[in-house]
Amino acid sequence: MTTVTQGTPGAAVTAAPGPRPRRRRPVLAYVAKRLVITIGLLLGVTVLTFGLVQVVPGDPVTANLSDQALNDPAAVAAFQAKWGLDQPVYVQYLHYLGNLLHGDLGTSQQTGRAVAEDLLQYVPATMELAIPTMLLALLLGTGIGMLAAVRNGRLTDQLIRVGALLGLSTPPFWLSLVVLYLFFYRFGLAPSGGRLSPGFTPPDTVTGMYTVDAMLAGQWELAWDAAQHLLLPILVLTCLTVAILVRFVRSSMLEVLGQDYIKAAYAKGLPTGLVLRRHLLRAGLVPVITVSGLAFASLLSGTVLVENIFGWPGLGQYAYRSASALDLPAILGASLFVALVYTLVNLTVDLLYGLIDPRIRIS
Amino acid sequence: MPANTRRLRAAALALVALTAASATAACTAGSGASGGTGTTDTLTINTSFVLKTLDPGRVYEATGVTTTHALYDTLLTFEGSDVGKLVPRLAESYEASADAKTFTFKLRQGVKFSDGTPLTADDVVFSLNRLKNVKASPAVMVSDLTAAKSDDRTVVVTSAKPNPNVPVVLAMSATGVVNAKVAKANGATDAADAASADTAQQFLDKTSAGSGPYVLKSYDPNSQVVLEANPNYWGTKPQFNRVVLRNMDVQTQKLTMSRASGAEVSLDISGKLLDGLPDTVQTSGIQDTVYYLILNADPAVSPLTSNAKFRQALRSAIDYQGVAQLFGKGAGPGAGLVAPAFPGTLPAGEESKRDVVQAKALLAESGVTDPTVKFSYPTITYRGVDLGTVATKVQGDAAEAGIKLELNPQPLTTFLDQMRSGKMPMGFTPQSLNYPVADSLINNMAPGAGSALRAGWTVERAAPSVITAGDKVVATLDPAARAEAMKDWQREMNAHSPYIVIANNSGMNVATANLTGVEYTPAGWQIDIAAIGSKTEAR
Repeated sequence: MTTVTQGTPGAAVTAAPGPRPRRRRPVLAYVAKRLVITIGLLLGVTVLTFGLVQVVPGDPVTANLSDQALNDPAAVAAFQAKWGLDQPVYVQYLHYLGNLLHGDLGTSQQTGRAVAEDLLQYVPATMELAIPTMLLALLLGTGIGMLAAVRNGRLTDQLIRVGALLGLSTPPFWLSLVVLYLFFYRFGLAPSGGRLSPGFTPPDTVTGMYTVDAMLAGQWELAWDAAQHLLLPILVLTCLTVAILVRFVRSSMLEVLGQDYIKAAYAKGLPTGLVLRRHLLRAGLVPVITVSGLAFASLLSGTVLVENIFGWPGLGQYAYRSASALDLPAILGASLFVALVYTLVNLTVDLLYGLIDPRIRIS
Repeated sequence: MPANTRRLRAAALALVALTAASATAACTAGSGASGGTGTTDTLTINTSFVLKTLDPGRVYEATGVTTTHALYDTLLTFEGSDVGKLVPRLAESYEASADAKTFTFKLRQGVKFSDGTPLTADDVVFSLNRLKNVKASPAVMVSDLTAAKSDDRTVVVTSAKPNPNVPVVLAMSATGVVNAKVAKANGATDAADAASADTAQQFLDKTSAGSGPYVLKSYDPNSQVVLEANPNYWGTKPQFNRVVLRNMDVQTQKLTMSRASGAEVSLDISGKLLDGLPDTVQTSGIQDTVYYLILNADPAVSPLTSNAKFRQALRSAIDYQGVAQLFGKGAGPGAGLVAPAFPGTLPAGEESKRDVVQAKALLAESGVTDPTVKFSYPTITYRGVDLGTVATKVQGDAAEAGIKLELNPQPLTTFLDQMRSGKMPMGFTPQSLNYPVADSLINNMAPGAGSALRAGWTVERAAPSVITAGDKVVATLDPAARAEAMKDWQREMNAHSPYIVIANNSGMNVATANLTGVEYTPAGWQIDIAAIGSKTEAR
């Protein structure tokens, strides 16, 4: 018999050769647990979305067939049979779940294509907007927010706060139209919309992001055209996201600035830049990460109004169009994707806490 | 280093470069502004996409109809904005029997599909039967028709009942002829079970299989559709080698057209949005849409709207000229259910007129004690006009006559669902014809017909004179005489039906000044893409 005694330090341990003690990997266990919860969450999303579509006033048949076709029972029956709408709701749901387990998200009534195929096309378009927007917004939001905190109460701070408030209260569609009017119509600095100018053909798909794919293929003229089309939607989205971040960064930094260790650092005569970089930035960023994560998830979920005005065929436009036509498979596909994005972003944010602030540990 | 890792690294580097490029693009983006193009022979068409498919057997939505008209040939067609005269396309001639039941089409010789194979009568028969049996939205147009091959160049279409409109139906985009062999190889069938057995839509959304002036290069129902000139086209080659239809918000279309200098067209700028456009663009439009109120004739749904005197009171209360002004350029006051673009419309001078005194008198005669009714409408902007604005105007007009309308704005799907349930007391909607023949309205709006039943208007509740007028239209086989009979039918409808036509509005094409052939057509496809040319140079 093998006895392993774990006692106080210094206590004798009697151990014969045996199985090695299991190494604990709390982070991996935590991630695994969260992923299991995610599966349950996604299942819940399917139930909720399925249920909501059933109770929303409106019928997919009337939303999809012409007025005259609705007068033809054969046309109505054909549509219902094709999309399984002639089955009881629970049968429709179980059928959907069965297909989902095989990786089949169904077929969109709007596009006639597999929902997965649609998502593979429209999600990268949204990512092409979301990633640069988030990077720019983080850079600007953190810098401006810190500046406001350091200049607390002065004119700079007041101006930044007013600017952030304006950014938060500006409707995205209005800002989009203003930006279009100024930068496209008045000054001709950027194209009006779409992903490419009409004369260009999209690059071969690698990532689905035209700018990236064109660069990978060495098609520099195409890449430049695609980048120009990103300009205005990114400008609008960055303005809106920066406005959110600035307020959070400012209040978070102000809190840290009042801490004793910051005062001590200043009292020791450390240069301001060093105090800001070493002590203020790291500690002040923790709450900002949460907001940044949510903002990024929101951008990845699609920005309907901005995408619509700039003719950007992303997830937001796809989801809106699907919802308008009560296209259940597409609505479910988009909802599942959004739920997945939020879950994964939240998980990433939680893990980042520990990396940025060693005081925080996952227990 | 594995290829995947290299590719990942390259993608990551490219992403960083993308951010940098996006941040700096403003500095030098002028060269690509205003829709700059990489080639010089591209025609750009901007439109707010209403697009679900390019399969002619299933196409119904506006953008799809416009596009398939350029991809697939039909037996007959219309030229320009004239929908009064059919012209040959695939059929070089046709004959109609005296009873308007049998139509014999002689096919043109030498027509080839885009893949070079000859188009035969078999392809025509297959396409028409498939359209009928797939039972999608456009199938109702041909549900009474049967197509058969007489010989390799002759197709006979028979109608179950007399129908002089069959040739017009066979000019619609949905009756475009597909290459049967190619379509069958990709899941198409014209069999009776085509509604479930036909799986060709996905193929036909990616690859066109027609004989039209263009072929499909790429298709994205949310973004853009690209067409290229068909190298095997049998007719006059189109001037533009490449056409890009772009999905664009209507406000953005206006800004784009204000700066456009190349070959560019917009299909959705109409009404008030036309104000302020520069002289560098041309416009073409015709009144082809009617906007009308629906008052439910079923007393169980609404004792108020089913009261004929109340309906007439409301009809007299509306300021038709004022409503038309809300719509802006290209609009006019309502007259009858047939819009001015089509034969059979009521002549000028018969527009409805406001008479508030008469409205009050009729309201008193109706015996109604509480003239309050819920007025539903979809919260949409259609052809540049917010329907809520129009509904508010109608509400104000009615109030002056003592009628209280409670506005009930609804999302489009909810509105459609309620309207089609037959339980909506009063609604408001625009309407365009499925095909450019006015008497097609009778199939849908006459007492006891599909739409009429949804307004509670049964044969029993209708005035006999309306039924007689409708029967007369149906019994008249000569098109000109039919159009005249339609006028009488509309007058009867104005007197007795649960519909009040309040305005007509125009579809409108806006194009750069150097383009030709950009006439708006009420035929259904809005613009004939292949007919568009350039004044400046042959491309």
